[in-house]
Amino acid sequence: MITPPPLGVYVHFPWCVSKCPYCDYNSHAMKEAVPERQYLEALRRDLEHQLAMSVAADARPVVSVFLGGGTPSLFSPQVIGEVLTMLRAALPFAADAEITMEANPGTIERGRFAEYAAAGVNRVSLGAQSFDDGALRRLGRVHTARETHTAAAELHAAGLANFNLDVMYGLPGQDAAGALADIDAALGLASAQVSHYQLTLEPGTSFAAKPQPALPDDEVTERMLEGCQSRLAAAGYQRYEVSAYARPGRECVHNLGYWRFGDYLGLGAGAHGKRSVLDAAGRVRSIHRTEQVREPRRYQRDPVATLKVHEVEPAQRPFEFMLNALRLTGGIEQGLFEARTGLPWTTIALQVEQAVAAGDLENQGGLFRATPQGMRYLNDLLVEFLP
Amino acid sequence: MQNIRNFSIIAHVDHGKSTLADRLIQLCGGLDAREMQSQVLDSMALERERGITIKAQSVTLYYNAKDGQRYQLNLIDTPGHVDFSYEVSRSLAACDGALLVVDASQGVEAQSVANCYTALEQGLEVLPVINKIDLPSADPPKVIREIEEIIGIDAQDAVRVSAKTGENVPELLEAIVTHIPPPKGDPQAPLQALIIDSWFDNYVGVVSLVRVVNGALRVGEKIRVMSTGRAWQIDKLGRFTPKSLGASELSAGEVGFVIAGIKEIDGAPVGDTITLDARPCAAPLAGFKQVQPRVFAGLFPLNSDDYESFRDALAKLRLNDSALHYEPEVSGALGFGFRVGFLGLLHMDIVQERLEREYNLDLITSAPTVIYEVGIIDGTSEFVDNPAKLPSPNRIAEIREPIIIANILVPPDYVGSVLQLCTEKRGVQKKMQYLANQVSLQYQLPLAEVVLDFFDRLKSVSRGYASFDYEFSHFAAAPLSKLDILINGEKVDALSIIVHRDSAYQRGRELVDKMQELIPRQMFEVAVQAAIGSHVIARATVKALRKNVLARCYGGDLSRKRKLLEKQKAGKKRMKQVGSVEIPQEAFLAVLQLGRR
Repeated sequence: MITPPPLGVYVHFPWCVSKCPYCDYNSHAMKEAVPERQYLEALRRDLEHQLAMSVAADARPVVSVFLGGGTPSLFSPQVIGEVLTMLRAALPFAADAEITMEANPGTIERGRFAEYAAAGVNRVSLGAQSFDDGALRRLGRVHTARETHTAAAELHAAGLANFNLDVMYGLPGQDAAGALADIDAALGLASAQVSHYQLTLEPGTSFAAKPQPALPDDEVTERMLEGCQSRLAAAGYQRYEVSAYARPGRECVHNLGYWRFGDYLGLGAGAHGKRSVLDAAGRVRSIHRTEQVREPRRYQRDPVATLKVHEVEPAQRPFEFMLNALRLTGGIEQGLFEARTGLPWTTIALQVEQAVAAGDLENQGGLFRATPQGMRYLNDLLVEFLP
Repeated sequence: MQNIRNFSIIAHVDHGKSTLADRLIQLCGGLDAREMQSQVLDSMALERERGITIKAQSVTLYYNAKDGQRYQLNLIDTPGHVDFSYEVSRSLAACDGALLVVDASQGVEAQSVANCYTALEQGLEVLPVINKIDLPSADPPKVIREIEEIIGIDAQDAVRVSAKTGENVPELLEAIVTHIPPPKGDPQAPLQALIIDSWFDNYVGVVSLVRVVNGALRVGEKIRVMSTGRAWQIDKLGRFTPKSLGASELSAGEVGFVIAGIKEIDGAPVGDTITLDARPCAAPLAGFKQVQPRVFAGLFPLNSDDYESFRDALAKLRLNDSALHYEPEVSGALGFGFRVGFLGLLHMDIVQERLEREYNLDLITSAPTVIYEVGIIDGTSEFVDNPAKLPSPNRIAEIREPIIIANILVPPDYVGSVLQLCTEKRGVQKKMQYLANQVSLQYQLPLAEVVLDFFDRLKSVSRGYASFDYEFSHFAAAPLSKLDILINGEKVDALSIIVHRDSAYQRGRELVDKMQELIPRQMFEVAVQAAIGSHVIARATVKALRKNVLARCYGGDLSRKRKLLEKQKAGKKRMKQVGSVEIPQEAFLAVLQLGRR
């Protein structure tokens, strides 16, 4: 019997206090109070429709829920609790399911973390980004470093020690010392994970529009990355994915699900989902992706009509698998590829062989993973798996 | 035969030739309104996109004239761009008259002048037509004076029309019937048919457009292609109206197409004569003057497996593009390919685009060059169409470059900037004459300076008003050197160019800067150097790419990341690995972009 892909649930909350100039996610500055009730109702209809649509309901338990955004912590603990109750009523949950909520260290969240914990949240991802107030202002963030410290203390006090800190580097005007100072400050907050990622100018954001902010050059960001990585390693945080670091055993279950090509139900405006249809033996027969409309109003009006579903053709599966899996430093087994894509390893044997020969991939006792060189130029390696 | 009129339209780009042709077709009922796709004659997708005519085409129309007679009008289209002037004489060879169409506000342009002279030399009756009289800026009397002054033909009876509104177009049809003479020829004499154009059709083989000079073609008869001596049975005859319409016979004076089961690509060369196998004519028709290519470049398939199909594609193109010359070339950098001769850069562009589109090939082009005559110290000389093949410097006595005579027409307001441009391009003024509304300039210019960007620059300094035409004159010695480009210390033969000593440093500097811009960053540093002999005159460095990885991969949504990587893959496909460095196609053509910032 093949182990079927684990199932997660992603719920998107598309509002923020204001839109950050670097952000290309589906988030909208709130102009009035967040319409909690209407949105909850829309999520309910979306969930019911997606469950009813599934060809064969299987009994896989939900191993993780990720409440992402936007800023889900703009929603009250009461409504977040109702979302989780709704999910638990509709789907079987694993006993140790990870329930993450993204939050900002701002004034709205102040004093509410204990209530979110009581509502069922057991992990928080905190958008710290930097500990330099000047940099935070330039990034359009509405919080200060001091508020991040307060939020972290509250998380520990609320029993939410399993939290992640998002930290960016390569900020406008930042030098290597500044990036290291940010990491040091983050380490002082004793989180379980750190997401350390480089600021990039994404198309469609106001940072990408001219005039663009002056970002540090490649040589500097490389020094930042190397310096920060060794600080993180020394403090016991292992890099388990391109931008993700965790204390041993505390890797984010939900994100591992993405990277190991698991399934996830995507609910909410702009949410994406992935669902494998399995045969009786648990083998993948087909893979479907869902996509919801990004615009919150349209979503709330009719979340059934706005759902788009398409099948991932077998030819596309190796690339999609690798796009995720090769980001993991630990690598993947042949068996995982076959179980998740439903394709034999021979489909990619040639590309793998060539990548090994080029020094981009290595085979360590059946575990295939990107070499340091392969990881550094991962895009070039991934391109080889495009159909 | 008395009721046949064979004519073509001579006009500058944008003077409304295609619109006028459309209007004539419509008035004669060649197509109904529904079928009337604008600009019927420019049938190649490329021609329509670029708004120019490249290949000769024909259309047969039937017109009921005021004299009560029904006339067959054969309109043979001619190309308008300077690169394709050779096609014009070919089209004109099938005609007895030509309409000289001139824009009523813009006046006469240089290419029309050149084409008009070709028509007059071939003994054609030229009928001046003033078009666009509906425009507020139209000034027909001024344009008539200009035609008389510049071309020297009587233009008092010029027909004034608006192809756009249709005004006076019926009068034009009458003028065609009365002014253009019927073809001469003997329907009873042995068959002589001139091949104006041939193209290869995957289903029926070679299709030839012919003008029957003497005798007649009949379906089922055996014909002989005179240059090959081979005989073929006629499967199909017809005319383009512009829809292709079958016919059982094409008689003396007529223009139409022949299909005779010829499967070899070179089975019916353009300019050849077709006769009857059973009753051959005494001698072939005069045919066409062979045109000499002016610009040469190496073309190489990106994928070496495509070499054979590339060769086949070139052979097919050559069938109806006699100006296209090619021979195998091996480049150290680009592998096996062909050195191809073109009439000009537009021709080169079009050939490459046709090869890629119609034959599905991915090609890379080396830096284009003109042909040089190299004097060797032993007193002999040789022609070099590839800078990489220049003899070693100690054998060279002198290098002679091709010089052209350029005729330029420009409104007085822009004369200053055109003179400046010609000086910058090492031009020598031969003549300058103020006419009614324009200034006529004659310059001697090195062809190498003209093929690069002269045409574009001329258009831009004159806001599109200057026009020009050129012909080859002679080879002249000049202080020329070979400029090599080295990538990471390795000389890339496909990037070598021949430059004038005075501009060598500047060219070298600009070229390496441009290359630095065009070569994407790689995993290692890439040094780009320009050198003359062993002397490096310029250097630039493409810094190493430190990493290439998506910083944050938000698990849920793959579509954007996929698009990004697909774009990267597509870009990679357009690159050629030289040593360990990947060089994009644009970098090989960087020399064309110099001086354009």
